[in-house]
This record gives sequence, structure tokens and C-alpha cells, in this order.
Amino acid sequence: MNKDWIKIVTAALFEIGWVIGLKHASGFGEWGATILAIAASFYLLVTGSRYLPVGTAYAVFVGLGTTGTVIAEIVLFGEPFLWSKIIFILLLLSGVVGLKLVTDEKKEAEA
Amino acid sequence: MAWVALIFAGLFEMLGVTMINKLHRDRSVPAFLGIVGGFGVSFVLLSVAMQTLPMGTAYAVWTGIGAAGGAVMGMLFYKESADWKRIICIGVIIASAVGLKLVQG
Repeated sequence: MNKDWIKIVTAALFEIGWVIGLKHASGFGEWGATILAIAASFYLLVTGSRYLPVGTAYAVFVGLGTTGTVIAEIVLFGEPFLWSKIIFILLLLSGVVGLKLVTDEKKEAEA
Repeated sequence: MAWVALIFAGLFEMLGVTMINKLHRDRSVPAFLGIVGGFGVSFVLLSVAMQTLPMGTAYAVWTGIGAAGGAVMGMLFYKESADWKRIICIGVIIASAVGLKLVQG
């Protein structure tokens, strides 16, 4: 159970990498790394959603990827810091935590 | 035209997510090709749309259609839980992701 969630979170971390890569990569090495990150993130997404509802796993994957990308753009690439971004991030993370609670609750009820 | 490309990009993303479900069910080659093809076509159409539309807007619409559509397809065809708490959480995540992409411009 937790192993699957860890895979989805790791898939999202790779997603941050390739979204940044698609936007900023130059040269053979950086593009190669971007393509490897795409492959790794989808591999983890697919294997991680084997025992989780796919719709749930995908929403978490996209949500965490977006959050990470927005933070990376602020920290690494000088995009403006806005409170509205922080509010959306907190809202999004509360949705992820909520989904994890709802999903675990259901598994336990079935077990 | 860009908007048509964008909406189809979202629909192909939805197809890709649904094919992940199919792959888990039957471990078949067509399902695998559906994932690669669905997301592949989706990315191409998204990049076409981004040539004219603002990146944040395009990305937001694409995420919204694909993630919400994927979740609905799972509930309709793959017996994923349609519990209201789950729907609210998925809705909050997608709405926040769309919001973030719009704010980013």
C-alpha cells in the first residue's frame, strides 16, 4: 500500500524533472536526461497504480508534479512568488492527503 | 484551431489514463500501445496548442480534461470507488492544479 504511494510520489518528482527539461534543456545530455525522466515517471506511475485506483493515482501524480514545478520555477528560475500560488499548493496538498486517507480507509474496510 | 487541438490533447490524455487501467486488467500489448500512443499524441497536440495559446492556459485546460476525464472513466468502466469524499478530493486537486497553471500565466 505505502509502497504504491511512494512510487506515485517518486513518479511526480521525475515529472518535475522532465517538465523543467522540456522547457529549459539544451544539448544532448540534458535532453537525454529529460527523456529518461519521462520514461521513469510513467513507469512508476503505471506500476504504482496497479493496486491503487488509477484516477486517484493520476490526480495525485499531476497535482504533485504541478506543485513541484511551480516551486522549482520560483526557487530556481526566478518566477515571481505569489501568495495565490501558496494557497493553491496548500489546497492541492490537502486534497492529496485527503485522498490517501480515503483510499487507506477503504482498503482497511475491505480487508 | 488551437482550441480544437487542445481539447483533443485532453481527450487523448484521458485515453492514455484509461489504457493504464486496461493494462492492469489484461496486461495486453494494445493497452501498452494505447498508453504510449495516447500520451504521445496528447503531447504533440498540446505543443501545437501552446504555439498560439498562453502556456499556462493551455496546460490548465489540458490537465483539467485529462485528469478529471481519467477519473470519471475509471469510475464508469473500471469500478473505481465513486465515493463522494474521493470525488471531492480529486476535484480539489484538479481545481488547484488548474488554478496554479492559470496563475503562472
